[in-house]
Amino acid sequence: MNDVSVKPAVAPAIALTRVNLSLGGGAARVHILKDVTLEIARGEAVGLIGPSGSGKSTLLMVMAGLERADSGAVTVAGQDVGRLDEDALARFRGREVGIVFQSFHLIPTMTALENVAVPLELAGASDAFERAARELAAVGLGDRLAHYPAQLSGGEQQRVALARALAPAPAILVADEPTGNLDEATGREIVDLMFARHAERNTTFVLVTHDPNLAARCDRVVRLRSGRVEPAAAPALSGTRR
Amino acid sequence: MTSILADAPAVRRRQLALRLALRELRAGLRGFGVFIACIALGVAAIAGVGSFAQSLVDGLAREGQVILGGDLAFSLIQREATPPELSFLSRQGEVSVAATLRAMARTADGRATLVELKAVDAAYPLYGAVDTDPAAPLGDLLARRGDAYGAIVDPALLARLDLEPGARITIGQASFELRAALVTEPDKLAGGIGFGPRLMVSEEALRATGLLQPGSLVRWHYRLRLPAGAGEDTVKRVTESAAMQLPDAGWDIRTRANATPQIARNVERFTQYLTLVGLTALLVGGVGVANSTRYFLDRKRDVIATMKALGATGTRVFAIYFTQVMLLAAIGVAVGLAVGALAPYAIAAALKTLLPLPLAPSVHPLQLLAALAYGLLTAAAFSLWPLGRVHDVPVSALFRDEIAPQRRFPRLRYAIAALLAALALTVLAVMAAYDRRMAVIFVVAALAVFALLRLVAAGLMAIARRAPRLRSTMWRLAIANIHRPGALTPTVVLSLGLGLALLVTVLEIDANLRREFVQALPERAPSFFFLDIQGADADRFDAFVHAQAPRASLDRVPMLRGRIVAARGVKAADLKPRPDAQWVLHSDRGITFTGDVPQGSRVVEGRWWGRDYNGPPLLSFEKKLAEGLGLKIGDQVTVNVLGRNVTATIANLRTVDWESLGINFVLVFSPGAFAGAPVTDIATVTFPGGGTPAEDAALLKAVGNTFPTVTAVPVRDAIDAVGQIVTNLVLAIRVASSVTLVAAVLVLGGALAAGHRHRVYDAVILKTLGATRRQLITAYVIEYLLLGLATVLFGVAAGSIAAWRVVADIMTLPFAWAGGPAVAASLVALAITLLFGLIGTFAALGRKPAAVLRNL
Repeated sequence: MNDVSVKPAVAPAIALTRVNLSLGGGAARVHILKDVTLEIARGEAVGLIGPSGSGKSTLLMVMAGLERADSGAVTVAGQDVGRLDEDALARFRGREVGIVFQSFHLIPTMTALENVAVPLELAGASDAFERAARELAAVGLGDRLAHYPAQLSGGEQQRVALARALAPAPAILVADEPTGNLDEATGREIVDLMFARHAERNTTFVLVTHDPNLAARCDRVVRLRSGRVEPAAAPALSGTRR
Repeated sequence: MTSILADAPAVRRRQLALRLALRELRAGLRGFGVFIACIALGVAAIAGVGSFAQSLVDGLAREGQVILGGDLAFSLIQREATPPELSFLSRQGEVSVAATLRAMARTADGRATLVELKAVDAAYPLYGAVDTDPAAPLGDLLARRGDAYGAIVDPALLARLDLEPGARITIGQASFELRAALVTEPDKLAGGIGFGPRLMVSEEALRATGLLQPGSLVRWHYRLRLPAGAGEDTVKRVTESAAMQLPDAGWDIRTRANATPQIARNVERFTQYLTLVGLTALLVGGVGVANSTRYFLDRKRDVIATMKALGATGTRVFAIYFTQVMLLAAIGVAVGLAVGALAPYAIAAALKTLLPLPLAPSVHPLQLLAALAYGLLTAAAFSLWPLGRVHDVPVSALFRDEIAPQRRFPRLRYAIAALLAALALTVLAVMAAYDRRMAVIFVVAALAVFALLRLVAAGLMAIARRAPRLRSTMWRLAIANIHRPGALTPTVVLSLGLGLALLVTVLEIDANLRREFVQALPERAPSFFFLDIQGADADRFDAFVHAQAPRASLDRVPMLRGRIVAARGVKAADLKPRPDAQWVLHSDRGITFTGDVPQGSRVVEGRWWGRDYNGPPLLSFEKKLAEGLGLKIGDQVTVNVLGRNVTATIANLRTVDWESLGINFVLVFSPGAFAGAPVTDIATVTFPGGGTPAEDAALLKAVGNTFPTVTAVPVRDAIDAVGQIVTNLVLAIRVASSVTLVAAVLVLGGALAAGHRHRVYDAVILKTLGATRRQLITAYVIEYLLLGLATVLFGVAAGSIAAWRVVADIMTLPFAWAGGPAVAASLVALAITLLFGLIGTFAALGRKPAAVLRNL
């Protein structure tokens, strides 16, 4: 059993039980996640590390409701995501999960403000643009609202992406190598910002990274190898943040 | 948070889709050129054809009185109105009489030519005006001065006989002075096709010619001007009382609302063909729409996945992109409608002098609405399928570089929506058609060609996949390009194949019509038709022709004109003939009577009555037309000849060799059926192997001098007149078809441009690995040639088969495959494929590997 979770006092934000996932078909089918059991407490920051191909991003996608497990149970923000159909899952994501990608994935035809407003608009918020503007101001881009992604630096783009992920006030924030496409200094700024927002809002935070130092800033580090959670001792079990 | 959890109302959801769609479109229309152009082109073609035709129909209706020459027109053939008929007419309003016939105009030095003679009274024209050059009152121009009557003449006659205004000619036994050139003849259209130039004289002058013999082929038109303000109910009342009070008059009654039923019908029918051609353009363009949509969505995969990651459902994403595509389609439709709406104005301005038709250019909302529906439905039918796939774009694409396998089929609901749009398009095409059977055939043929072309593409790819490994790298590369995933094969085959098939169809039909009407006159075709040979002159005429042209053969039969007034006891107006047989009832037909089976005819059902038959009237009917009218042996048919109704029983059915251009009749009666009626003969003179121009001219001159009242119609002239019309029609079809070709080229260009990125990548990698530019070009040339050749083979085959069916079944003409146009079209198609393909390739070859590799 690959169980390294700390038993939380209240219901966990994310709970995975014996999750298996294979991708591809026929001869190319690869068993990526193998019997993964993991619990992440509300408000906890968890760093997911491991070598390339170990299944970090896939595990993140399962947590974000972007990928369905072949077997096992996945409960996120109190919701058994295995029971949701495609559309319910999309709505659930829009509401409960904020995602930050390595390549930002801003919509190039939309301004910074519109990019941040999109998830709010999709959820039907009537004050989408006011809230988007507040989120952008909070990440220091209050004067960049009308800029298109192409007019922003990499760091600024990632800030917009962070504002977009946090705009609907999700219970969970997941980030997939958010500094991978940034230089060191800019990466550090973004990471600081993410941890600051996580602390302010008590958002559950799951961070996939190659960087052990970055992972070490989390409450807990979960190490993956060949699709399994390694039973190695976590560097920070006490819950001290940063 | 709960405030944003609530489901937004439907209206808000739709607004959001529109808002997000508009936001996305801010990036500009790059990449949508082909999409918009394809829709615009098809819509412009359909809207243009529809608007032009409607302008023409409106023009014909508005000018009804002028074209008809009155509020009502009563036409009689071979006889004048009787006193009771005249008194009936003059009780209704003002009457004007005009007579038309074909006659020979002769110059003092003996040259002769056929003219369309029109004799008018003092009241002519009741509506409109005759314009002449020099302008002068009609009465003065036509009046008798000394021994000559005045005549107004089509300038073509002056040119043909090399005469100046003021010259003299003889017609029959009367002498005429050509006093003015005819510029506008208000009621010209009602006359139908003329085989010669118009010559207008007075009624008195016509009587002086001596051409008015019993049985002469003269049409008498009695035009009626109703009291001012008479409405349609008065027109109807006059028509009804004419039928009631004079049931046996046998006249053809036309009203101002239906002045030129033949032209109106032809306009409608021709409009349908052109609309179908326009629809083909739209369908070819549909391939471009589907391609553009697919490339667009490929480019948008990341954005779509991001939207889904942010909480957009598959349905929502579909709505956003469907809205975008339909907005783009609306741009194309708007451009097309603008062009189409302006078409009547442009054509009216450009062809003002050439077009002998009254055009009332205006904007026709109904026609534009139909074109709009065609455009939007085509866009929907062709884009819904690829759009449906966005529902299932996986968000995982954002995390992995893997190429997620694309779903081949969209979800059922999108497939059904696409099919419904296609069905709506079909229903619209069929419902709007004049001849629905034709429209259904078109739809089925279009579907079959689409399916076949997909099969051809699939087959080509399968063959390429299974091809043995060749030693030449370039051949291997070329063949691999034909079958690799995402290959251009299906698009090239579909767009080029469809365009080429249509082009070959049109070219083959064109070639066959030309051969039939213009070029190769059958060797056994006569040189002349001689009309109005009086019975008393018949033997003298025979002897004269034999003496003048000893090597020519002469065929002479009696001819009358008559109209079918009833069949099977049903009135002609109430018969419901097949569309291809309607013309038999539309006006009077030439009829004959004989004891022998006519030349060129073969009895295929029933028995011929024999030379000595002497019983009640029997009738021999042309088989196809009899079937079209629902007639069989034993049925009774009543024809009105010279104001008398004659009823005969169908004794047999014949097939007729129309192409012989001999004297062929739909209706042949037994001897004695018209005993006592004044009959003239019609004769053909045929030189074996065709007459030389000198022989033709000599005979024409000799007959003209000796038999001034006999009219000679040179077959060559008649054929030329018909050929001219055919040429114009074919030209219109060609113009419409060229729209389809432009669409095909657009689609092809779009597809090859979209494949360009792939080409650059291939070229750069291969160059990095040591391929020379020559090797690469060779590989691409081989690929495009193979693709082009396969498509050309299919296109030519499909086009030839389609042309064969149209020529043989619809036009009922013999079909002969013309290699020249097909080969020319094929070469053009191959050249276009190579050119478009290589334009992209040259650009690819010019790239420096390092620059590209850095950006890969």
